[in-house]
Amino acid sequence: MEFVRPDSIEATVAALQADGAACLAGGATLVAMMNADLVAPHRLVSLRDVAALREAARQPDGTVVVGAMRRHRETAEETDLRDGQLVLSEAAAQIANPPVRNMGTIGGSCAFADPAADYPPALLAADARFSLIGAEGRRTVPAGDFFLDWYETALEPGELIESVVLPPAPARTVGSYTKLARVAGDFAIASVALVLGMDGRACIHLAVAVGACGPAPVRRRDVEADLIGGGLGDTEIRRLTDALAEAFDPVDDVRASADYRRRVAPRMVRQALVEAQQRISETP
Amino acid sequence: MTGEPVTLRVNGAERPVAAVAPWTTLLTVLRDEFGLTGAKRGCNQGVCGACTVTIDGEPVRSCLSLALNCADRDIVTVEGLVPAGAPAGALAPVQQALAEGNAVQCGFCTPGILISAHALLRRNAPLTVDEVRAGLSGNLCRCSGYKKIVEAVVSASEARP
Repeated sequence: MEFVRPDSIEATVAALQADGAACLAGGATLVAMMNADLVAPHRLVSLRDVAALREAARQPDGTVVVGAMRRHRETAEETDLRDGQLVLSEAAAQIANPPVRNMGTIGGSCAFADPAADYPPALLAADARFSLIGAEGRRTVPAGDFFLDWYETALEPGELIESVVLPPAPARTVGSYTKLARVAGDFAIASVALVLGMDGRACIHLAVAVGACGPAPVRRRDVEADLIGGGLGDTEIRRLTDALAEAFDPVDDVRASADYRRRVAPRMVRQALVEAQQRISETP
Repeated sequence: MTGEPVTLRVNGAERPVAAVAPWTTLLTVLRDEFGLTGAKRGCNQGVCGACTVTIDGEPVRSCLSLALNCADRDIVTVEGLVPAGAPAGALAPVQQALAEGNAVQCGFCTPGILISAHALLRRNAPLTVDEVRAGLSGNLCRCSGYKKIVEAVVSASEARP
């Protein structure tokens, strides 16, 4: 095993072209797997000195670019995120515990793509996209096409997550992230990320993603689109939760049974949508 | 040990190691090379918190930090909570609070708890029970002695001038 510490994105991409190269971001996932003898990369490419990956910036149109090396604590406190984009900071604040949030990064967590992790549904609901860079150059992949399967992403060998890009959220949308877990900081039994905008009683923006209920976060854009422009009462919410439930493919694991997840996640979606509408109606 | 040389700054002192393998964690170097056995190896997965140290002032897991990645960082272990030059047996305020509150049972988790609590207390304001519980949520105590631990940290936060 070899250890390298490049100080630019270009040098990082070059170092990643070797067989068995792996990025070392915060270490919260990769080193845990190394300690468990699950992985042994031939070359560790430390990202700690690549300053460009540590930045987050808000562009004039409200787009927020979050560098892959932004740590969960920084994202939880990110003042550049506004309105519906706050779904991401709410998710970051619920990851693990303070020492792990001081280490773990958004790029590292997303590259690992644990189906019960907090960022995947939040990024899907925020309509985020990944900026990837490899030997062939940069490409952009929407969150919905990035998380593919159990621990599988659209990243190709030799590619690096450079940043996660959140489009501007429509004004007065709210973002929320709700997680059901055995204890605070555990991986989710199920989680719900949403971005909601209402104009009076009419729903003008709706994005709901459910985590930990399948190999990748689940969203039903088709039903969301049908609900835009109308009210968001029991009947409409039921349409969405029924459609989401059809797309669930949960497993039994140490945290909960698949059956429990199928039962609890629709109720979490309903509650989150009711609470988000309440928040909007209480905002002057 | 095969590997490359590295110098780590631990509790204010520059400490060279002749050869560190890439997969060697900071925790292993602290314990096996430097004899700083305060940080403990519990789960070696970042879950239990017994290995917690601060790097550049923030509590992190030394079991998830690779030693070669920690060059040029300021590392503080439980052994460094008492300032250098203090008389033998002197305790940092947070250590004093846990001792006086009988907040130690088997003691395995205590070094990690002290590091997390020390970082919380730097905020320099009285802490609520909920704030302390959230701040210590990454430190497991298998004796389940949380009540006295939390009380001791709250009282340490209130005792500051």
